[in-house]
Amino acid sequence: MKRTTLISIVTGKSAFIQYSFLIACLFFTLAGNAQQATLTAIGNVSGAPAEMKQSELKSVLMGETQRWKNGKRVVIALMKTNTPLGKTTSSKIYDMTGDELNKYWLSLVFQGKSQAPVFFTSVSELQNFVAQNPGAIGIIDKPMAVSDVRSVMIDGKPSF
Amino acid sequence: MKIKLLFTPFLYLFIAAASYSQTTQIRGFLDVTGAYNKKATFGFGEQDLYITSAISDRISFLGETVFKYDSEAHSEFAISIERVIITYNLKDNHNLVLGKIHTPLNYWNDTYHHGRVLFPTIDRPLLFSQNIIPLHTLGAGFEGSNLGKMKFGYNFFVGNGLGSSEVEDNDRAKSVTAAVHIKPADRLRLGLSYYYDVISAGADVHGMDVDHRVNQHLISASVARFGKKFELLTEATTALNHTDTTGTKTTLAGYIYAGYKIKEKYVPYVRYDNIQYQNGEMYYNKNNKQSFVAGFRYEINYLAVVKLEYQHIDNEFGVNVDKVTAQFAIGF
Repeated sequence: MKRTTLISIVTGKSAFIQYSFLIACLFFTLAGNAQQATLTAIGNVSGAPAEMKQSELKSVLMGETQRWKNGKRVVIALMKTNTPLGKTTSSKIYDMTGDELNKYWLSLVFQGKSQAPVFFTSVSELQNFVAQNPGAIGIIDKPMAVSDVRSVMIDGKPSF
Repeated sequence: MKIKLLFTPFLYLFIAAASYSQTTQIRGFLDVTGAYNKKATFGFGEQDLYITSAISDRISFLGETVFKYDSEAHSEFAISIERVIITYNLKDNHNLVLGKIHTPLNYWNDTYHHGRVLFPTIDRPLLFSQNIIPLHTLGAGFEGSNLGKMKFGYNFFVGNGLGSSEVEDNDRAKSVTAAVHIKPADRLRLGLSYYYDVISAGADVHGMDVDHRVNQHLISASVARFGKKFELLTEATTALNHTDTTGTKTTLAGYIYAGYKIKEKYVPYVRYDNIQYQNGEMYYNKNNKQSFVAGFRYEINYLAVVKLEYQHIDNEFGVNVDKVTAQFAIGF
């Protein structure tokens, strides 16, 4: 009778099949998450342009641009960093964790270099804020267009 | 008619400011320390309150006030107004700046101010604590940031200079600060600055009377790289102090800090400081110093940081210092 040892479990053929299955599951889970993690930039029609490059968007959202070309002051609207969308925004746009992003803004505002973004807990609040504030730009999860708000195409795409 | 024309822009400015919905925030920093240097001791550092306010679409205000222990004050506490800055956005990323600022000579001085939760180490480097550079300047100037592909920035500031009070200049000479920086890559900043001032004979600077008129030139450079894992910050200042009796004496001061994030919240770090004065230096209190710091930072979150640090200070005059300090710094 063949004895089942720890080594045989880890190295055996059945283990190979199990690992393959696990890796496949992991791959599909990650692929699913990546699909959920698309972002869209929305802007008030008075200020934010209809199209931007990703690098320009990052620069604006880092507080490096004080005014749009039409002279309107840039106002940044983001989801709170403890929300799923806020976490995705932090990692995908800023390449930071939520805490790093909060620290970044704390430091920048303390230096007097920029106005702090306005943070929201719901997408609808963020959309309303962008609609009501000329110069506002925000990040949400899917394209939308309502009065005074438009989706900003990033590198020619509505989502990124 | 001329008077009307003169006041029209101010009228527009007033109307614009009045019609703007003002946003004001009050926040602050505080730290509590425990240290061991032949005896264990506890204390709390500065309580720093800062206010930011968007007054209008173009005008903003920042005020920073520190409450700290002062053995000479009647209540044993002193209030110090560290910054009062009115910024007027001229165009795009160019601003007019008025008030009392932290002199934008160095990265540390212009970035961390009194926010100890933001400091990478427990205390400021010796370059700042030994009064090598003027920490504050009261005056007016221009600043720009993130210009072009290299994210070029500049500061040009004219101030009352050393020896002046918070309300008036003590002499006719003005200090001049000119600084430039670039950010050629994410999380990397390179800076260069120049400062000139004439410190009058009889001026009271940092609680000491200056006997001779001093012409001071400060040239500083900094490299700051706070990457995802590796942190590097190094700054150096060359100070040229000229008096008629001693001629020009050179002081070299600098430090290098390096930290490495072993996990998102854990950062072991080291810092080395060095200040070397030329013989015959009269303006600074000549005492060549070296310091070595090794510490560990635990960032609980962006508003709470614990640091544990060992520091050895080697003094040319006086006893050397060996101490262990723990600090709990918070933002609120």
